[in-house]
Order: sequence, then structure tokens, then C-alpha cells
Amino acid sequence: MSGPSGVGIGWRPEIAGFVAGLPGLRFVEVVAEAVAPAGPLPDGLAELRGRGVDVVPHGVRLSLGGAEPVDPARVAHLAAVAAALDAPLVSEHIAFVRAGGLEAGHLLPLPRSREAVAAVVANVRRTQAELPVPLALEPIAALFDWPDDELDEADFLTEILDATGALLLLDVANVHANARNRGGEPTALLDRLPLERIAYAHVAGGAEHGGFYHDTHTDPVPAAVLDLVRELCQRRRPPALLLERDGHYPPAAELRAELDALAAASGHPAVT
Amino acid sequence: MSGDLAARQAELVAALVAGGPLPPGFAPAPVEAARRALLRKRAADVARHWPLLAAGLGAHWPATFTAWADGRPSNGSLRDGWDLARELRDRGTLPPLGAEELAAREVASRYDGHRPPRPRLMPAVARAGGAVAAQFAGRVRLLRPAPR
Repeated sequence: MSGPSGVGIGWRPEIAGFVAGLPGLRFVEVVAEAVAPAGPLPDGLAELRGRGVDVVPHGVRLSLGGAEPVDPARVAHLAAVAAALDAPLVSEHIAFVRAGGLEAGHLLPLPRSREAVAAVVANVRRTQAELPVPLALEPIAALFDWPDDELDEADFLTEILDATGALLLLDVANVHANARNRGGEPTALLDRLPLERIAYAHVAGGAEHGGFYHDTHTDPVPAAVLDLVRELCQRRRPPALLLERDGHYPPAAELRAELDALAAASGHPAVT
Repeated sequence: MSGDLAARQAELVAALVAGGPLPPGFAPAPVEAARRALLRKRAADVARHWPLLAAGLGAHWPATFTAWADGRPSNGSLRDGWDLARELRDRGTLPPLGAEELAAREVASRYDGHRPPRPRLMPAVARAGGAVAAQFAGRVRLLRPAPR
């Protein structure tokens, strides 16, 4: 159990066979809500753990940014998954996914306000108190901003990380998407984020649709995102990189080529 | 504009998934783009739970699903697909593959349209769009395929 290193990939049942066949793989991520900690682990995951591959539970439905206190049952589930997988850490998002009794079905952005910082910090602390391992927080991609931001993205994130001691899960594709859709220079954001706190980084594909760049996780990784990976790796020791692919799975050769491109951009050894 | 994060988050979610008005101050075009993206994501999620229904509709799946789901909050992918399949059955537009999938689901579980489906404990026969499925001791068999 050493923590994320090198190039990894999001483990999904549809590509379990592909992932199992990656000889150099050192870490994967699994959607935390897809794991039942009391039952047996999915076959492919148990095999990876047996090989010493780190498995990081990645929560998507905790709603740490919700104004309401985080649901203790969801926190307990995340903690139990971390224990069941003997995970080095867990990750979740700086976002909310439900409010007023309705599920949004996706990660929604917070206003960059003091009130929102306080809400996230309170929920992160509640969560950290129950987790057996460190928590990394991922800033999300969003298409829109709230009308009354008091902080810019870098200050907003840094305040949350400073107040909680949480690690940073930096999604390079989200940095690209936000700059493309909401303005700003992606490298300028990299220059202002606390990069030394990165636990690992996400990389994913997306596509243009209706005048916006959508972080779909179902399309190839664009060249601009790979460029940003290089920019990140010039600014600090290359962090562990995790490729997220959530559907429209390409032939194995294409997925291998994307993993190899991440290795080449970062200087990590190829895992294929 | 502070001190009421909970209410403002609820307004935003309602605008995105329940046909609520755009909250004050938000730029309409990006929020609309996010709303459409959520519908596409939901369509993909429901297609994973109802693969034959989605395959039966083929290229019409995204438009069929999003027209049905627009303004209707999700009850989860399983129930969303179930509700849509029943509505298409009632309209007479359920494709044969979807009819067979619906019949198989109806015979395996009891679903009242309001609460989560529960497995049937007794043997059952169900029909949907001309397809007939039977279930005995939890095993589901398609007795008659839907007419092509």
C-alpha cells in the first residue's frame, strides 16, 4: 500500500478484462458507490488487489458541497469501502449533487462564496472524522458560474484545502474544460493552485457540443488536455495520472495508446 | 445574496431537472447547455439499465428518452426506464426488443410506479406489447417474442 503512482485507469466492469491485462499497472480507481463493502469484491478488483495494485475509492454522490450536512450513511459506506479495499486514500468532489429533495444526476458547481467554503469545509471535516484514510478533493468541470462569486477558483480551492488539510485530486481535463467554457488561462490556474498537495491527477476525454466543451469521459483525450498534462508535469514532480473512461469504450489498442500517451507526457513508465 | 445556500441550491437543481425557472442572475445559455447535458447523461445511464429498450429504439433512443425525461426528475435509472417503457407500451410505440425486456422485468419484480420494484416471490406470467414472459422460482423465460 504505497499510494497512487505512475499511470492508472478507472476500473469499470465493462473494461475489467482490459485492465487486468495491463502488466505495469500500479493503481486504479473504482466508483465507491458501485462497491458493496460487506459482500465479495467484484472478481476483477479482487484479482488486482491480490497483485498489489492500489484501488482508490472515488465517491460521486456524497454531495460534500451541499448546504445540508453530509449523509452519515454515505460517509460510513465510503469508509467501509476504503477498509474493504485496504485503500491508501479516497477521493470525492467539491460539488453538490442533490438539493431540495431532488437528485441532480451529476456534479454541480458551488458558488465561490465564503458561505459555500464554510459548507464544504464542515462536510469535509465530518467525512474525514469517519474515514480510516486521507481524503483527496477534486474540483469539477462546470458549464456555468453562479452570479455572485466572491473568490476566484484558485482562492476558493486553496481556502478549502487549507481549512481541511485535504489532498488535491486535480482533474486536468476539468481545468481545460473550465477555461474553455468559463474563461481564464488554464496554465495561469496551474500556477496558482497548491500543486504540492496533489495526491494524483485525472485525465479524461471530451467533445465539443453546442458551442461548449463537454467533459464526457466517453470521447478521446484531446491534444489540448495532453498539453496541459505536460504543463503540470513541468511545474512539479509528475503526479500519478489516472485515465477516466466511462462509456463508448474504444478498441483495446486505442485505450492502450491513450495510456501510453499519458506515460509519454509525464515520463512515467508505460503500463501497457 | 448569502445565508441561503440551501434554498438557492434547491432552486438551481429544480431548474436543471424539474422544469423550474432559471434562478436570478444565472446566464441562461450555459445553464441550458448543462440541462441538456444532464438529459443526455441520464439517457446513457438508463440505456445501461434497459439495453434492449434502448437498442430497440436505436437512433431514436436519445430523443425519445429526453423528450420523456425533460422536466421529470429522475427516480433512478431502473425506474425511469420502466416508467418510459410502460408509457411507450400504452402509446403502442414500444419496439419488440423493449417489449420483451419490459415483460421480463414485469414478471421478475412487482413495481407499482411509486415505490422501488421488489422481487416477486410467486410464479408469474406477464405480457407487454405482444411479448409474454414467465417466471418460476426467480428464473425468467420469454414464452413468446413480441411480433416483428
